[in-house]
Amino acid sequence: MATTQSPSPNSNDDKPQAVSELVQQANQVLQDVRPEATKQSVPASVFVNSEPIREDQVSNAVKFLSHPKVRGSPVIYRRSFLEKKGLTKEEIDEAFQRVPDPSPSSQPASLNQDGQANSLSSIQTQVPIQTSQPLAAAPTGIVSSGTVARRQFQWYHAVSAVGLLAASGCGTALLIKKVIIPKLKLWVRKVVLEEENDYAKKIDAKPSLAEEAATAAKAAAAAASDVAKASQEMLNSKNEERRRFEEFMNLMDAQVQEMKSMSNSIRKLEGQANSSGRAFSDHDDHRASASSTKQSYANGNVDVNVQPGRSSTLPASAEPPHPKSFMEIMEMIQRGEKPSNIREVNDMPPNPNQQLSNPRITPRTKPWEAQNGPRQVLQSQTSAEGLNQNGVDSGLNYLVDDESSTPWWQWKNLRITEIENEDEVKADGSYGVKTNEQPSVQRTWVPPPPPPVAMPEAAEAIRRPKSAPKETAMQEQLADDQSAARPSEVTDELQRITKMSESAGAVEMNGGFLTGNSTVIQEQENSYEGN
Amino acid sequence: MPVFKTPFNGYSVRFSPFYESRLAVATAQNFGILGNGRVHVIDLASSGPVINELIAFDTADGVYDVAWSESHDSVLVAAVADGSMKVYDTALPPQANPVRSLKEHAREVHGLDYNPTRRDSFLSASWDDSVKLWTLDRPASLRTFREHAYCVYSVAWNPKHADVFASASGDCTVRIWDVREPGSTMIIPGHEHEILSCDWNKYDECLIATASVDKSIKIWDVRNYRVPVSVLNGHGYAVRKIKFSPHRRNLLVSCSYDMTVCLWDFMVEDALVGRYDHHTEFAVGVDLSVLVDGLMASTGWDELVYVWQQGMDPRAA
Repeated sequence: MATTQSPSPNSNDDKPQAVSELVQQANQVLQDVRPEATKQSVPASVFVNSEPIREDQVSNAVKFLSHPKVRGSPVIYRRSFLEKKGLTKEEIDEAFQRVPDPSPSSQPASLNQDGQANSLSSIQTQVPIQTSQPLAAAPTGIVSSGTVARRQFQWYHAVSAVGLLAASGCGTALLIKKVIIPKLKLWVRKVVLEEENDYAKKIDAKPSLAEEAATAAKAAAAAASDVAKASQEMLNSKNEERRRFEEFMNLMDAQVQEMKSMSNSIRKLEGQANSSGRAFSDHDDHRASASSTKQSYANGNVDVNVQPGRSSTLPASAEPPHPKSFMEIMEMIQRGEKPSNIREVNDMPPNPNQQLSNPRITPRTKPWEAQNGPRQVLQSQTSAEGLNQNGVDSGLNYLVDDESSTPWWQWKNLRITEIENEDEVKADGSYGVKTNEQPSVQRTWVPPPPPPVAMPEAAEAIRRPKSAPKETAMQEQLADDQSAARPSEVTDELQRITKMSESAGAVEMNGGFLTGNSTVIQEQENSYEGN
Repeated sequence: MPVFKTPFNGYSVRFSPFYESRLAVATAQNFGILGNGRVHVIDLASSGPVINELIAFDTADGVYDVAWSESHDSVLVAAVADGSMKVYDTALPPQANPVRSLKEHAREVHGLDYNPTRRDSFLSASWDDSVKLWTLDRPASLRTFREHAYCVYSVAWNPKHADVFASASGDCTVRIWDVREPGSTMIIPGHEHEILSCDWNKYDECLIATASVDKSIKIWDVRNYRVPVSVLNGHGYAVRKIKFSPHRRNLLVSCSYDMTVCLWDFMVEDALVGRYDHHTEFAVGVDLSVLVDGLMASTGWDELVYVWQQGMDPRAA
């Protein structure tokens, strides 16, 4: 931002030059700003699908969605299935639109830029379609799909509404012409026929009666046949239901047998100390049954529903063994008993409008955020730092033995950095899995080049002054000035470290460490000088 | 290395972003099936390998996850199995806690994540298939993200882009969202089985790791999400939680129903770098400290919380 101030003194001298300088400096400012802007705009594109719609995937999805069984399933499961197959959101939306499904096929919450374009095109295609379809059916169909369409394009809505009204008007007019006129004609014919019948009625009384009886008999026969057909269909459907029930029963039997085998194997292996191949229960099942037992317990029912088909279940051999008391509690709940150790706890806030206390510490920058600054400086030195490292580490090792100086949870880190440096120097990739032997745990993974060589020092130095006041205070609340001073101390230390690493001297490094309120550093200096 | 015994089964452990020695532990009675819950705030004594409990809060139902506020050093949020979230302030007297109860989810809240860059908002993942966005100063959620077809187990904010987050669900997909967009911006059908956890790489904001019931951990690059960058096999059972290291670019830690906590370097051929089998039941929660490089903690259904330095034996005295 300071660059914007500078052109002003220059601009008075030479106008064309000043203008060009101004432009250059403005460009520089823009360039500085632009990376930030592009960084903020680029991530939106990085985290978004930029693939074009794949036609083969969409056609497969259309076939899937057109299947009658799929039609009956809830929309959310259809979408989930397609998502699992790897279709993008745009492809799924496209497939849903292509399938002639009168029910609302898209969720109202999911809007996308592509989705909006699709809805635009869908409304446009629907408007011309309505004129080609039979007029009686068109208005109702389009009204239902029109209500589903995106609300943002209201003017499109209005246009289609006007078209609908016109179409319905024409449709009713045509209906009137087509239906009412034939009805009138029929009625007229009826009247005429009745008059004729009155004439011939007396003559044709008997034969007409017979004819009527015949027609009545025919009608009765037709009705009887219809009834027979309907009853046959009922029987068929019942048979199908029976078959399904049998299949379901078979599945249930299989599950019961599995459960029995599970419980048997649990009992067998209860005596063993550690598990190797015990009984199993699927993660889905135990969570599902856990939740369903919760609900079923709340409802007072005892049945346990294992929800099949929501997600694929693992084969029985891959399920983890549950602790014995876990199974006991599950059985208790299945029986309807409540575990006795549950208390009534009131965990509602006593004052929902309670003010939160003021924060005592300013938030710290994260290690990955802070890295971009100092790391670049530190990475430029490689071999010089390697030499310094060993010297410093040997100096710092004295602290490791001195228990009162650093908290125990920071000790190990020094050894890790030591061995890291050795690895970098030797390019040794050996690694041991044993966790008991401390040196051998250090692993094959080597930090990527350029090595974060001086980082541990920086981290240690950053940590030093903070741990010192912690040890002395050991309370939750720290002085505000101390906490405020920390960030400046950190930057000062980092600057000192960079300067120290430039000059290759271990003594200088120790001498250049923080002065003043850090007792730890003083101890270090004492211990170092003691040698 | 110190051990902390909780009365209930452990579900989650998180380091405080303000205090190096402070952790929060989420526990649930009776394995979280049915019963009370408790949130412990514990502190590592610097004098020796001892863990002290600073305060504990009881809840009516099990606590599945806990998250520290990034703006207030004494505030933490707990995800409760009755669908509510409780906000606690440890600087206030215990009788004043909880300070908030946020009840909107229809089912158990299983995951929480606080925004590490914006520091003002947090997300909740629930078994009611939705993710909700909250801030501490409002009693109602700001946004609801409802697209998953099954339980959402985990959410994770992107460490670099403050508006982007990922959610892992039992519908076997991971969705990338942007809070500025109405719907998800990317769907990664990562596994054939339920995905229990996801986390972003702290040093490469385009890398995301997913952990699944299929015992594997996969690393994805969102720029080319059809094929994983790396597949980490080695766990014997479902992987319950993963966390990328805040200090090392390629390191991530995972815990699993095979009772182990594993360290991985996904850029190396033999990715398994460390294995800790200190738990005697499911290892359900694991965390790496943001403030102290190499410090890690884990908890499990064996009602124990271990805190140890990477490379040391968690059970060592």
